[in-house]
Amino acid sequence: MKAIARRWGSIAAVLVAWELAVVSGAVDPTFLPAVHTIAAALWELATAGEVWTNLLVSTYRAVVGLVIGSACGVAVGLMMATSRAANGFFGPLVAMTYSLPKASLVPLFILWFGIGDTTNMLTVFLATLLPVVVSTYHGVKAVPQVLVWSAQAMGTSRGEILRRILIPASLLSILTGMRIALGFSWVLTISAEMIASKTGIGKLIFLYGESGAYAHMFAGILAIVAVAYTADRAMIWLMHAALRWHDAAPAVGEH
Amino acid sequence: MESAAGGAVNAPARLGQSVWRAVKFTYPIALVVLAWAIAARSGWVRPLFLPSPQAVAEQFWPLLVGGEIVKPLAVSLWRAFGGLVLALVIGAAAGLAMARMRWVRWGVDPVVSFAFPAPKIAFMPIFILWFGIDDVSKILLVAFTCVFPIIVSTYHGATAVSRTVIWSAQAMGTSERTLLRRVVLPATLPYIFTGLRVTVPVALITAYTAEMVAGGGGLGSALMFAQRFFQTPAVFLYIILMLLSGVVLDQVMLAARSRLIPWQPEEDA
Amino acid sequence: MSQIRVERLTKHYESREGRVLALTDVDLVVGEGEFTAIVGPSGCGKSTLLYILGGFLRADAGIVEVGGRAVSAPGVDRGVVFQEYALFPWLTVAENIAYGLSTTGTPKADRAAVVERFVRMIGLEGFENRYPRELSGGMKQRVAIARTLAYDPQILLLDEPLGALDAQTRETMQDELLRIWESTRKTVVMVTHDVNEAVYLAQRVLVMSRRPGRMVEEFRVQVDRRQGREAVMLSDEFNRIRNQVWLTVRRQVGATR
Repeated sequence: MKAIARRWGSIAAVLVAWELAVVSGAVDPTFLPAVHTIAAALWELATAGEVWTNLLVSTYRAVVGLVIGSACGVAVGLMMATSRAANGFFGPLVAMTYSLPKASLVPLFILWFGIGDTTNMLTVFLATLLPVVVSTYHGVKAVPQVLVWSAQAMGTSRGEILRRILIPASLLSILTGMRIALGFSWVLTISAEMIASKTGIGKLIFLYGESGAYAHMFAGILAIVAVAYTADRAMIWLMHAALRWHDAAPAVGEH
Repeated sequence: MESAAGGAVNAPARLGQSVWRAVKFTYPIALVVLAWAIAARSGWVRPLFLPSPQAVAEQFWPLLVGGEIVKPLAVSLWRAFGGLVLALVIGAAAGLAMARMRWVRWGVDPVVSFAFPAPKIAFMPIFILWFGIDDVSKILLVAFTCVFPIIVSTYHGATAVSRTVIWSAQAMGTSERTLLRRVVLPATLPYIFTGLRVTVPVALITAYTAEMVAGGGGLGSALMFAQRFFQTPAVFLYIILMLLSGVVLDQVMLAARSRLIPWQPEEDA
Repeated sequence: MSQIRVERLTKHYESREGRVLALTDVDLVVGEGEFTAIVGPSGCGKSTLLYILGGFLRADAGIVEVGGRAVSAPGVDRGVVFQEYALFPWLTVAENIAYGLSTTGTPKADRAAVVERFVRMIGLEGFENRYPRELSGGMKQRVAIARTLAYDPQILLLDEPLGALDAQTRETMQDELLRIWESTRKTVVMVTHDVNEAVYLAQRVLVMSRRPGRMVEEFRVQVDRRQGREAVMLSDEFNRIRNQVWLTVRRQVGATR
């Protein structure tokens, strides 16, 4: 009980203060709708279906980009960690594109592919690629030499070393990178939608803002935060389950 | 058995080594540019979609002279830095307070937990609503985006300060305020710096993205402008400029770090 | 017929200061079923020698043969136990021990029985499904040894296998090792910095020089180990040899170039 109070206590306090500030007239409700107004809008959105379809679209884009980006990221990271030639080639490219805001590619992709899913997913793909490459690379590099040697002494073939030793041994790193990539996937999908899109929750809240439906706008943002939070928690749970054997696995209560 | 010869005799060899290292590092990028040039020249893709590297480079001078590079860049940087400084001050203070005072931790921790995984760009409409589309809203959005990692790094750094160090200081009669200033803060500095190093690119990216979404000047707006008028070489150029600004900033951070915190060993990127 | 033959082995390695000579003109012969210990000052290259025997490193010059064939890569004929145990942390005790069985083609149906036998041998019944992180150092070491024995390699290469254990556990494990060797009679080459341990366990103790390492002296240990630890360690014969070995090593430590 105490743990729940601790977690939600301050948030509840903020909400109460917020509500009082608006209702008492201290804050202009145009700029900051009261909590109950937002709650009503949230309810309306939840039952109307508009938010769901758009959330679904955004989630779909984010997830597809994330999955493909992570898969390629792990592959490239593995290559870089096991082949000096691959490292020599990809290393500088990775270092260089690290500083590139992937959102800046959206206008270019719009020029190439128009407004829609492709632009969005491609951006997410590129954004999720890098953290996974880097974390996979570092994870594999950190695998103790004696583990590989032991496996080799017991007759493990080259191809098997990758699958049976390197990947399990670097799993914590890889999954940590994916967790970061998960965060990025939301940011970029929303960014791309806000920059130019016909659908998606990012576009939706912008529309609400432009048409003055501020309570709905706040409600939409809340929905995004809730989805991102839930996804992150799910990721942590996944990591916990997959890394039960690890002595440094993230505790379930961590952020 | 190692040779004692070095210095002047090896200077040309060392120069050769540096050149070789530079080549090794840049050849993939050179290859990409080469592939780009070949693809553009082959006529396989229309110049509207893929201008040649030359066409992109040629855009640089006219844009520069026309005031469309320096001013937008300065505006973006100003916003990024303004937000960053704000995030640093608030974040470090919050992190330290969280580490030293339990009730602050109790209050701030849930907020950080919820805010961390959320895409802060989603809050952009709120900032626009409250502060318009000019500098203020963007600086605040940058600050909002960057404050959380800084809080977390500072908090971890401050709690990592050894108990015995603090006890020794307290035994010598150090007040809480002085303790913070002369013991906890310097010990936490490397952690804050690490948080900062990760956050600097985020600040820049947030500034650019906010400008792309909402306009109001800056490199992001310039990029969108070029795209709207199908000026593809300019689009490419702006993207490259954004990339370079990030790279330069990162190098500056590294240099600053070794100057400000010389006692901390450097780690690889 | 000798199982391991090393002749004029030389090995360099790269360091920040340039090329460093690690081993020079090392000669070594180990017969089948012999327990040989290699001791020497820190950094003399004894571990490097073991790694070359294991096939993890290549010699720069000289002959390295096992069973008449040149060694060029790791193989299932040479089992290795490292000082850091090198257990696979994502596998349970049983899965770790079964690993070598899966790579050497033991049919799945037979694996469980073999694993069970070895778990019993090392006295860890009930821990089959635990992960390495739940085990103490001594337990991990036992699993490491069982894992290496399970697929029945002809040769055991041990690199300071008991180095990370506390003194008490060490003694227990030494007796364990002795017992296992006496019942399996494998060819064992063990690297250790502990002279007592070397003389207690091995039939032959080889002393290496300071870096660059070469074989300096060989001692034959003829002690009746069936007497039990106390009798052995208090016996004149044991102490005589141990003192000689210790002195030889000490002289190597203090030797000037």
